[in-house]
Amino acid sequence: MERVFRVLLSRDDWYHQRGYWVIANALKNAGMEVVLGGIQTPVAIARTALNEDVDLIGYRIMQAAPDMVVRALFQEMKANGIMSIPVVVGGIISDREEKVIRELGVKAVFRSFDKLETIQKHVRAIAAESFVET
Amino acid sequence: MMYDNEFMQKLQDIQKRYEDELKNIFSRMPGAETERKTFSGITVKFLYTPKDIEKTDFLDDVSFPGQYPYTRGVFPAGYLSRGLHIRQVTGLGTAEETNQRWKFLLAQGANALSVVPDDGSGNRADSDSARVVGLVGKGGVALDTLFDYETLLDGIDMMKYPVHLISTNAYALACYLAIAERRGIPFGELRGGMSNWVRPETECLDIIEFCARNVPLFNAGYLDMRNVREGGCTAVQEIAFGVATAMAGCDRLISKGLHIDDFLHRITWFVNAGPEFFEEVAKFRALRRVWAKIFRERYGAKNPLSLMCRMHCQTYAPTLTMQQPFNNLIRSTIYAMAAIMGGVQSLHVNSFDEALAIPTEFSASLSVRTQQIIDLETDITKVIDPLGGSYYVEWLTNKLEEETIQLIDSIQDMGGAFKAWSWMCDEIRNAAMKNQQEYDSGEKLLVGVNTLIDETDIQREALKVLQQHAHFEALYEYDPSFVDKQIKRLNKVRQEREPEKLKQAEAALIETMEAKQNMMPALIDAVKCGMTRGEFAKIKADVFRQPGAGPYVCSPPYVLA
Repeated sequence: MERVFRVLLSRDDWYHQRGYWVIANALKNAGMEVVLGGIQTPVAIARTALNEDVDLIGYRIMQAAPDMVVRALFQEMKANGIMSIPVVVGGIISDREEKVIRELGVKAVFRSFDKLETIQKHVRAIAAESFVET
Repeated sequence: MMYDNEFMQKLQDIQKRYEDELKNIFSRMPGAETERKTFSGITVKFLYTPKDIEKTDFLDDVSFPGQYPYTRGVFPAGYLSRGLHIRQVTGLGTAEETNQRWKFLLAQGANALSVVPDDGSGNRADSDSARVVGLVGKGGVALDTLFDYETLLDGIDMMKYPVHLISTNAYALACYLAIAERRGIPFGELRGGMSNWVRPETECLDIIEFCARNVPLFNAGYLDMRNVREGGCTAVQEIAFGVATAMAGCDRLISKGLHIDDFLHRITWFVNAGPEFFEEVAKFRALRRVWAKIFRERYGAKNPLSLMCRMHCQTYAPTLTMQQPFNNLIRSTIYAMAAIMGGVQSLHVNSFDEALAIPTEFSASLSVRTQQIIDLETDITKVIDPLGGSYYVEWLTNKLEEETIQLIDSIQDMGGAFKAWSWMCDEIRNAAMKNQQEYDSGEKLLVGVNTLIDETDIQREALKVLQQHAHFEALYEYDPSFVDKQIKRLNKVRQEREPEKLKQAEAALIETMEAKQNMMPALIDAVKCGMTRGEFAKIKADVFRQPGAGPYVCSPPYVLA
């Protein structure tokens, strides 16, 4: 049987959330279990990821400065020893910001009008690649 | 439109011949789409004739601008007497940067102001809190204290340029009022508005009640359906959910002892203008008619002002593309034309770079120019309701009205909008999903994304060249030094305020809120004593037992968009 991956989906701030819900539904439709973190600080995301034992973190960044929040997220993940959980980011991310957050360790960056099918496939592949049977 | 029988008979015969001819043409075009559905799912034909609006009564249903049911506009002389308000959303960095941007936009000929703080929820910690890492002055302007609002409004004539505060936070209003007071502007003469979503919350209702009694020209209640539309819903849902929400809010305010005519005219709309030009024009017309009819017939509103649905519009953003970014100028221009032909009072035209970043002076000035060109160079604003009388637009207006009323009634059957909230959220999210799938499959077309893709994308190339070589900022970059600058501003207030006075003001505020009295007077006192937005958020969390311990005191269930 194919493994059901658990994905934490969190976002940086209040305002718009269309993409957040569309992606949540798309991942669910692709057979993943989606933990809805809602609006969370980087620290809260890391702790939720630990508590919920997720296989992947999906971080919607639209309002926040991507490099600042991603740095804070990895710092907290490191402190909790969960750097093995892959992080993907979606939202409004400039080319420069993408370069920076990929260097920090973000595995993929998705933007508006990336096809849902593509996102589903990539997320699954990234989760599978990092998954270690215990 | 009241044609005589002889004419209708003649029309029917000719129309029958035309339709047969059309069938004949289509029969030779295998696979031709002979009918289509609008964004709202309304089936639309190829041609409309007097037959489609046979039952429309000009005097009852359409009438004159400034006359019930206001289908053609709320003011008798339209834009001729009250010009379009060019109002671009502004908010970046600290109050200093935003004040500068405001002055730049006014110098370009914008004639109205709005400000977006960096705290969408309105319940946020101060800028030095670890909880707001990455957010300070990023998606909006950092406004922690009254001092920030003073800087924001520095050199701005509040009587000439009333401000719209894009905030649900009573704190923002308290600062606005405190500054008006200091400038000697009587509350009775102060204009402006805020994005105070009509919702079943003490804070929201206190704002509307306080303004109804003390700041009568301030638009205190808001139906932020524009962002709900951004969330994915249809044009019909946009207006039906908004009217239903207003009805639920009115029920609460009436139970607080207010009369419908005391406050309804200060509840204004925030609407969207999307890609389907005629559906959008018909939507604005249908909304005005539905609003007037519902509040006259079901709520007994008598003041004509209460029945005049006034709107600020911001063009649709989900179709703005990163690919071929200058195409967004053309998209937003078409959307703006729909808004203006639909008779909105106030408009923000999205900038071409909004799928990439916060607008720069360069891109924001193009948004201002778009509106000015429509206004000054074309005849669009010169005739009131120029599309009124079009068989198609009148038919579509009727159809949208009919579907909107049906949807409102089904929400009322569920116990009203506040009870139906989670159902509405589901509807919106389902619509968003469907919309996305339509773009993915190519059923809906988007230039540069799923059709007419340009691998080399010379437009992005052009933008990059500008970024590298222009002497001005061609694409906005967030400056992380805003954080230190803002924390210095915050600390200055904390050091200069008088702790004893602040303590007393806070105690008085808490007492008022606990006694369920209107919080506004005590809140105005407290902001004058230097209370910060974070301190107010903490008080709200404590008094209203909101989950203040979490990362945010927000994500309330009624957030739709």
